[in-house]
Amino acid sequence: MKPRNWWPALVLALLVLASAFPFYWAVLASFTPEARLFQEPSLLPSGLVLDHYRALFTVRSFWLPIRNSLIVAGATTLLCVSLGAFCAYALARLEFRGKTVLLGSILAVGMFPQISVVSPLYLVLRELRLINTYPGLVLPYLTFAMPLTVWLLVGFFRQLPGELEEAAMVDGAGRLRAFWEVIIPVALPGIATTAILTFVYSWNEFLFALSFTLGPERQTVPVAIALFRGQYQVPWGQILAAAVIATLPVTLLVLAFQRRIVQGLTAGAVKG
Amino acid sequence: MSGPAVVTFPISALGAEGRVLVQQLSRFTAANPGIKVVQRVTPDAADQKHQLYVQWLNAGASDPDVLQLDVIWTPEFAAAGWILPLDQFQPDTAAFFPSTITANRWGDSLYALPWFADVGMLYWRTDLMAAPPATFAELVQEAKRIRTRGGPQYGLVWQGARYEGLITTFVEYLGAHGGRILDGRRVVVNSDAGLRALTEMRDQIYRDEIVPPAVLTWQEEQTRFAFQNGQAAFMRNWPYPLPLMQDSSESRVAGKFAVAPMPAGPGGSHTAAIGGAQLAINRRTEHPEAAWAVIEYLTRPEQMRERARVVGQFPTRTAVYDDPDLASGLAIPPATVRRIIEYGVPRPVTPVYTQLSEILQIHLHRALTRQSTPEAALARAQLDMQRLLDRAGLGTGEPVASR
Amino acid sequence: MPRAELSGIEQQEARVAWGLVLPALLTILLVALFPLLWTVWESLHLHDLRMPWLGRPFIGLDNYVEALADPRFWGSLGHTAFFAMTSVAMELIIGLVLALALNRAFSGRGLVRASVLIPWAIPTVVSALLWRFMFEGQSGIVNALLVDAGILREPLVWLIHPAAAWVPVILADVWKHTPFVALLLLAGLQNIDASLYEAARIDGASAWRQFRHVTLPLLRPAILVALIFRTMDAFRVFDLIYALTGGGPGTSTEPIALYTFNALLQNLQFGYGSALSVIVFVITFCLALVYIKVLGAELTGTRR
Repeated sequence: MKPRNWWPALVLALLVLASAFPFYWAVLASFTPEARLFQEPSLLPSGLVLDHYRALFTVRSFWLPIRNSLIVAGATTLLCVSLGAFCAYALARLEFRGKTVLLGSILAVGMFPQISVVSPLYLVLRELRLINTYPGLVLPYLTFAMPLTVWLLVGFFRQLPGELEEAAMVDGAGRLRAFWEVIIPVALPGIATTAILTFVYSWNEFLFALSFTLGPERQTVPVAIALFRGQYQVPWGQILAAAVIATLPVTLLVLAFQRRIVQGLTAGAVKG
Repeated sequence: MSGPAVVTFPISALGAEGRVLVQQLSRFTAANPGIKVVQRVTPDAADQKHQLYVQWLNAGASDPDVLQLDVIWTPEFAAAGWILPLDQFQPDTAAFFPSTITANRWGDSLYALPWFADVGMLYWRTDLMAAPPATFAELVQEAKRIRTRGGPQYGLVWQGARYEGLITTFVEYLGAHGGRILDGRRVVVNSDAGLRALTEMRDQIYRDEIVPPAVLTWQEEQTRFAFQNGQAAFMRNWPYPLPLMQDSSESRVAGKFAVAPMPAGPGGSHTAAIGGAQLAINRRTEHPEAAWAVIEYLTRPEQMRERARVVGQFPTRTAVYDDPDLASGLAIPPATVRRIIEYGVPRPVTPVYTQLSEILQIHLHRALTRQSTPEAALARAQLDMQRLLDRAGLGTGEPVASR
Repeated sequence: MPRAELSGIEQQEARVAWGLVLPALLTILLVALFPLLWTVWESLHLHDLRMPWLGRPFIGLDNYVEALADPRFWGSLGHTAFFAMTSVAMELIIGLVLALALNRAFSGRGLVRASVLIPWAIPTVVSALLWRFMFEGQSGIVNALLVDAGILREPLVWLIHPAAAWVPVILADVWKHTPFVALLLLAGLQNIDASLYEAARIDGASAWRQFRHVTLPLLRPAILVALIFRTMDAFRVFDLIYALTGGGPGTSTEPIALYTFNALLQNLQFGYGSALSVIVFVITFCLALVYIKVLGAELTGTRR
């Protein structure tokens, strides 16, 4: 390696450090007794306790928001991927008029500010008695998740060679059967990536979950954490313990599928 | 009619407070077999609970039958027609502290019964001084003296973050200087007294340096931690820290503090912002009589005494303070508590309180973080608040709805 | 193939296509477009859930007039613009440096990729709280480090200074979103033909000249895409500031989305809040139009 190439390594070392430090600090604090949290912070661990984690699952019933988040993000992902796959297939591989406009509009919906639909969604959900229910979250989530799913899937379907379903159709299969029997199996990795990204976005969503839930029964993880303060207090130890737990599932997904996720993210944005 | 009347009762408190309530409710059902009480879990933080109630009531739900209101919500719910006037049940209002009753009136009727009282008080260190300061001038002097002798690093700590707590602190400074926020339909906070009160708060931070600037991000618990770690000579807070700070395993000031009324300033008197919980009845309830029976039971003297003993909450009935049992239950002399409650001043009694408060919070916080002068902040706050009242048809002008 | 037959197949294909598109399309119309129209309608009414006695009268454009006369509205708009420009500028610069570094072959790439992806993947609320904790009060870790290093003489209460409160906000955003920008730019870098650098080297161009005349021009489309995505996103900022400063001190870090949220769900002013929502939508929409135009011109320009 040439001597002038030392800088990438330095930059990347700094990067890893900067990315990791807030986590390190939060993990450390989540094991530190509340009384010591703001007294002479020390960078090295000492006198660690499990109090905050214990409190989280006993006093706070933190499994409730975890369950809610899993249900809501899971249902959103399932719904979006199954409906979105058909739509994306047509947009990516069939010829019909209005296709470009349609794709553009779907992308546009995905980009519009969530806050601009909060008021009618709230009024509709209230009318349907869906405030503070699972469907009352999944429906609003479709506004951002459906366009995202379609967009990502179109990207993946386009990458497949054109001869695939032609061969199947020559063999006498119809469009739909060709899609089902040929395209889907080949596109599975792309579909899985899309599902992961949709799940991550839904898991992290905050504004809708804050607006359309009331109280601990249906709150998702981000909302529960943001509203952890009690009548009088800001329990930092528990907040950070919850933060550590909330990052676990996404961290694991990211670590397991990092190559694919990067592919999906950049394909959707750059090649569109 | 067959079967018991079912009354739904919202319950939010964790720990000891929740346990007391559950016990009291089960005693009630044992004594009243015709009524069944069902509990319904609600959030702990006040603003979340408020939002939930608004949802329920606005949708015309008939349960919960009984509602637990923060004192500042009663006029809002009453004006919206969501809660039942209690006059038909002839509650013995004369037995309660007058300020706690005033806060629960709207129009000519009483809409909620005070369950327990929260009051703002001055916590002071008995090991650092002989007697609590009676005026803010004395407090500032005392705090400076303690600091020069190497005492705690902070003089006074209070709740100064941009939230409802800031208003309660301000109400006490304002009363100390003889001012008010609202006079009937007119906003009068931009007065001499208002200006002196806000300037006093600001000066204590930046000129006298006895209040740490950090309080402008603090809520109740941060002030408690500072005081119980021995970092502050004085603290403004509610009664809830009393039992917590007597616990010497947690608190460095156990046995070394007492409470007094908040200081008075020139032109005013000692003032305690009134908080606490009230009980009201949902207008859509199918069992108003049964709901009232629950409320009447929970506000009886003996139940109040039990709450005082177990969780340190102050009874709202005056007679309970003459009871010698109370002295052994409360951490501080009942006479002191009673004196403080008698200085109680409700925050503005208006159906648009939450919005009024938000405007005032913003402008007070701007002045305290030195983004604007106290003069400009109060002038702007008064203007915006009056406009809000006018728009709601509760001000001096014509209501907007008719335009 | 005869023309008639071709169009027959085309027609059949179009029918299948619409059948496939329809479920997702209807869902989007139902949950996004229909509410948007409703917001516009709602914004023309006085609708205050806290004041049911006022009813829900039609008041024309009064809510818009009120917004435009409201200093808090203009303040929040200014904060949003400031936040978007500052954070996106920093993200682009740092992201570019990172992308260039990542583009060089080296060992341990997996570790780096994971460590850039994790901040991106965690909930924004969580990252806001991590940063708030580091800047909290007078005894947070940032104060401790800065005082130890002699940069600050005494601890600073970051969140009560109108200017200083932006520091954790912008740092948290840069920390969270730079990875995304870096990955986009890296993808762009990897698309650049290596022979171009070869040619430049043969011509004796310095590393800086190569960067200036080969990398930057060819990276332009990727930079623009990153710019669009990030500004639109930054313009909607809500979670981060809600959990980090709450818009304070006073309202000096309050973005437009938070102001709108407060009008809607704290004060339950649905008419006025809807008017604010419509304004946010129109601004984002215009922003998108401008960008699409610029990007379109840019893309066809580079192709020529």
